Amino acid sequence: MILSVVFGLLGIAFTILPLDTLAFLPIGFALVFGLLTLKQSQDSQKKFPKIILTIAALCSAVVLGKTLLVKDEVATDTQFEQQKIETKQEAKKELEEIEGLE
Amino acid sequence: MVYAGSYNMSGLMTQLAQVTMSTETVSTSKNAYLHLSCELSTYSKWDSFFKIRDIYESYVNPANLKPSLYKRSIDEGGYTKKEKYAFKGNTVNSTTKRKNKPETQKKFTIGASTQDVISLLYKVRTIDFSKFKVGQTQNLMIVFDEKQIPVTLRFMGKETVNAGNLGKKECYKLSIGAKTDALRGKDKNLIWLTADAKKIPALLKFSIPVGTGQLTLTSATGI
Repeated sequence: MILSVVFGLLGIAFTILPLDTLAFLPIGFALVFGLLTLKQSQDSQKKFPKIILTIAALCSAVVLGKTLLVKDEVATDTQFEQQKIETKQEAKKELEEIEGLE
Repeated sequence: MVYAGSYNMSGLMTQLAQVTMSTETVSTSKNAYLHLSCELSTYSKWDSFFKIRDIYESYVNPANLKPSLYKRSIDEGGYTKKEKYAFKGNTVNSTTKRKNKPETQKKFTIGASTQDVISLLYKVRTIDFSKFKVGQTQNLMIVFDEKQIPVTLRFMGKETVNAGNLGKKECYKLSIGAKTDALRGKDKNLIWLTADAKKIPALLKFSIPVGTGQLTLTSATGI
């Protein structure tokens, strides 16, 4: 029961973080321990492992969706682009300084 | 050249960033230089957690790839560092500015064939490996962390690897060894250069103090 909860929480955290298919690791353990808990529980105590299994299944679907649908892209970063222009302008001046010293 | 940068997390390679290497000609009133640029940007999905924007640049003589100016600007999760190395003959004047620390300057001498890390990569591409025997080494010198350090390149034979839009390519496999804390392990820092005239870096594997990773070529154009 405790292990299924721990891995269930880790599964949620890994799903939120951009860890791609690495999230399947804690999710898989959550499913395994959730199923074991479900099997060993009495009929009146099966509600909690079922919740864990549902969360793990939902996390799996989200991770799979993210893996298939979200592309690895670099965001347009105007600040970085501006920095590159400035550093190039600076470099030109610095090169002229070096040439002046030769 | 565009690469996908992956980092080893608990045994699984996770795609983290895009590395773009490009060249262009830059002219001053006196000279023309080849501007070698290497940019690293984390994928947008990582930006909210750990944003990296690094630029490594080298301005070299187009004829012999001898560097005149090397610049490094890193922004890794808010930690910033800027470095500038001005090469004048056998002397390097370096300037370093770390986040929340005063700027430091240093002057040191180098050998006639010493490169910076970026121009070294392009210099390596000019070496004729076709006559190299397995295990044969090539010694080089680089400036890194405000000092000159020796680098040994060891030819490990040929291997066929995936080279992005170029398809599968036969490559020269080389091991990079350097006396620096920045690289870890023996034969854990490797580079595969296509075994043709262009010697395009198709795959790079690295082992650094914070882990291991690799750069895989996704696209190479205009080479």
